[in-house]
Amino acid sequence: MAAADIPDGVKKKKKVGAVAVIGGGIGGMETAISLAESGYRVYLVEKNPSIGGTMSQLDKTFPTNDCAMCTLAPKLVGTSRQKNIRLLTNAELVEVEGAPGNFKIKVLEKPRYVDVDKCTGCGVCMESCPVRNTPQIPEPAPFSSKMDPEKRKAYERILGRYPDKKGALLPILQDLNAEYHYLPEDGLRYVSEVLAIPLAKVFHVATFFTAFSLKPRGRHTIKVCLGTACHVRGSPKVLDAMSKKLGIAPGETTPDGEVTLETVNCLGACALGPTVMVDEEYHPMTVGKIDQLLKKYGWANVEKADAPETADAPGKAETTGTAATKTTKEAPAQ
Amino acid sequence: MTKLCTVADLEKLHAELAKKKDPARRVIAVCAVPGCGAYGSEKVPPVLREELKKRGLEEKVEVIATGCQGFCEKGPITVIRPENILYISVKPEDAAEIVEETIVHGRVVERLLYQDPATGQKLVHEGDIPFYKYQTRNIFGQNARIDPNSIEDYIAIGGYLALAKALTKMTPEQVIDEVKKSGLRGRGGAGFSTGQKWEFARKAQSPDGVKYVIVNGDEGDPGAYMDRSLLEGNPHSVLEGLMIGAYAIGATEGYLYVRTEYPLAVKRLYIALAQAEEYGLLGKNILGTGFDFNIRIFRGAGAFVCGEETALLASLESRVGEPRGKPPFPAQSGLWGKPTNINNVKTWANIAPIIRNGAGWFNGIGTKTSKGTMIFSLVGKINNSGLVEVPMGITLRKMIYDIGGGIPKGKKFKAVQMGGPSGGCVPESLLDLSIDYDQLTAAGAMMGSGGMIVMDETTCMVDIAKYFLNFLKDESCGKCTPCRVGITQMHAILTDITEGRGTMEDLDTLTELADVVKNSSLCLLGGTAPNPVLTTMRYFKDEYIAHIRDHKCPAHVCKKLITYKVDAGKCKACGACLKACPAQAVTGQKKVAHVIDPAKCIRCGACFDACKFNAVELL
Repeated sequence: MAAADIPDGVKKKKKVGAVAVIGGGIGGMETAISLAESGYRVYLVEKNPSIGGTMSQLDKTFPTNDCAMCTLAPKLVGTSRQKNIRLLTNAELVEVEGAPGNFKIKVLEKPRYVDVDKCTGCGVCMESCPVRNTPQIPEPAPFSSKMDPEKRKAYERILGRYPDKKGALLPILQDLNAEYHYLPEDGLRYVSEVLAIPLAKVFHVATFFTAFSLKPRGRHTIKVCLGTACHVRGSPKVLDAMSKKLGIAPGETTPDGEVTLETVNCLGACALGPTVMVDEEYHPMTVGKIDQLLKKYGWANVEKADAPETADAPGKAETTGTAATKTTKEAPAQ
Repeated sequence: MTKLCTVADLEKLHAELAKKKDPARRVIAVCAVPGCGAYGSEKVPPVLREELKKRGLEEKVEVIATGCQGFCEKGPITVIRPENILYISVKPEDAAEIVEETIVHGRVVERLLYQDPATGQKLVHEGDIPFYKYQTRNIFGQNARIDPNSIEDYIAIGGYLALAKALTKMTPEQVIDEVKKSGLRGRGGAGFSTGQKWEFARKAQSPDGVKYVIVNGDEGDPGAYMDRSLLEGNPHSVLEGLMIGAYAIGATEGYLYVRTEYPLAVKRLYIALAQAEEYGLLGKNILGTGFDFNIRIFRGAGAFVCGEETALLASLESRVGEPRGKPPFPAQSGLWGKPTNINNVKTWANIAPIIRNGAGWFNGIGTKTSKGTMIFSLVGKINNSGLVEVPMGITLRKMIYDIGGGIPKGKKFKAVQMGGPSGGCVPESLLDLSIDYDQLTAAGAMMGSGGMIVMDETTCMVDIAKYFLNFLKDESCGKCTPCRVGITQMHAILTDITEGRGTMEDLDTLTELADVVKNSSLCLLGGTAPNPVLTTMRYFKDEYIAHIRDHKCPAHVCKKLITYKVDAGKCKACGACLKACPAQAVTGQKKVAHVIDPAKCIRCGACFDACKFNAVELL
């Protein structure tokens, strides 16, 4: 039996002290994390032996079709790592008394037949138990030991720039992305190991920011600005035409790995709009000027643009189709 | 370069530099911003120097490659001082003529002058041009006087003297008091009193004495680039403000959080930091006053929500940029749990002038509740797009018609969108509204960070509302449901409306959803997300109704609701549209009027733009 210890002396009007969250599903975890971040001591009570709730059984969630585990995993990690949260799993609420601001609750923690406080997690009991003698899973070898030494050296060089590991994840990912034009998976695993940040958290950061890509990108990028000023001056038309000329959708790379077409929310060159940025060069653009731009960079024949006769059209459309299917598909930029 | 050990050293250096860089000397100042005008603006200064050298004038005339001078529409701008002769759209080829005519012979190059579209008169001096005439360029004007890569240029115009004044002649409390008295409000959008914010951070207790100050340069609002131009054009003004703030608050460490899309700003800030360190203006015992301060640069990673202060802090700690609930406010528990003060780039840039000139100088400008000047990026369908700095209280009409020169091609003004995706659209009937935090909020818009996008009759307001929701749908971090799902659903409804599937009930659903999203979102991204929808519905309801009831887009923007057609009577069969069409939807031969196949037409409008005889019609 464990009771949530709300200080007795707290007056009923004053809403301070610990908070109990009942249920360790996605809602409960988020509530607990938010409260804990705001400085409250949180007791998270969960009936099952583990937190996660129904969402852990789902593939996707309504209505945005987001991957359920991608949403859930960082919260699971967050809950267990947050020092202000005390997890009470395999436990049930039996009694509540008091008024808002000063509750007293009784929680029944079901027996595990192991004294959690004394247990060191050595696993000897598990090994010696004649009934369910499942051998303890050996600690997996560190990822870095299996890596290609050349690659490891390259990653080490980047990580070496940040001797202070605190808060270094984002700059390291930025450097990785700048070097490889995307975030290689083994790089992320290695970073996770060296910084001792769970892989789920590393992926959470890597997938959150638009500067990062998990798929290889082209050697060059064309960024079409879709900022408001460019939008009202016709940038959607430029994007459409550019996408047609290159035969790739925004976010995709040409099959030869030369160019990636991207959209950007504002390049900060609003007076030139609609603006297109090729690598680090700005170009004021119109639909009519696209051919000239592509010619300048030698990308004019990714797909022929000026088809004079209509008879050619079906064939052309086909080429576009195959080109599009060959490309590496990225997370849609829209 | 010698280290400045005392305030007297700095004053001596300032006096020396100011003498050398006498305002009466001859200077050619060129905006050398990559992406100004077109490409090549950064090539103008070297060519000018070369031309001067040929004539043996390189000692007598200084060429300054400045940051943005604001008049981006006609960029790159070249100003010749002391007369302030202004040339527009200067190319490297023009350098020889400028040097020969203006510098050697004192004559004006007519063809490079700005021509007033109203009178047809050529205007010679910067002050005559309407774009500059009505501005008060207290902060931004410095850009035109200095080379952003030179700390000496900044010191010559009085840079770092405000820091010296604060460190030696004022207590931290007096600095805060001065800022409070000036009435400066946060330039990032919300408009909270800067002095009060500093006071919270000053009073907050930090167990180990560590406090942080942060420059929020995550300028995410599409259509706004003032912060970029300040960081690129005058990085030291931001650093000086930050140092003064750090002294007032008691912080020893500062961060510059800059958007990843601004690589040049990052580069210039690194240069500025290195120079300040070399002069001993950063580091230990600054100017011998015992004040220690260091600054680090942090690049954002492309998330709009990171402009929100708690999300910004999360990403500084290398976590996912999700906002959290407040309290605790960053002033109590910010970066790594320490008291932290975050202000916008423009707010920091205002600090040094306030300390230098006093609160009275600052609060003498503006309205009762909004003081000082504000920098806007005036862009979109406007003749003179660029960055403008105006005193608070100026009317929108004055900004758009006098400074901005009105709408291009004789089109009719429709609305001005202010405050980025969180702001709203202000219609023509409210053009006499004065620019002031509270008046704008009352009209449903907001000051925001200063984006001002002008729209004419060819802009569809439903499409604009959809555009902003599409933007916010992507940028919502997904942490709280009202924002994540609410914006997605509102966007779906607007998509229906723009594609002809809308119903009148949709308008009620939109209003209801907007209310929920506004009131129950965790941070201001969701809290202000419905503003573009609400203001367009408030001021342009007839456009929504036209889309829903008549299946027509009055501005001819929404693709599903428009058709391109060739008027056989006007068509000269020149083939221009046929060539322009990227979808091979136009058929025709010589001497036969062309026809557009609506099934193949992707409605890009290329044919419409290509036709010289107005034969392509929009229905």
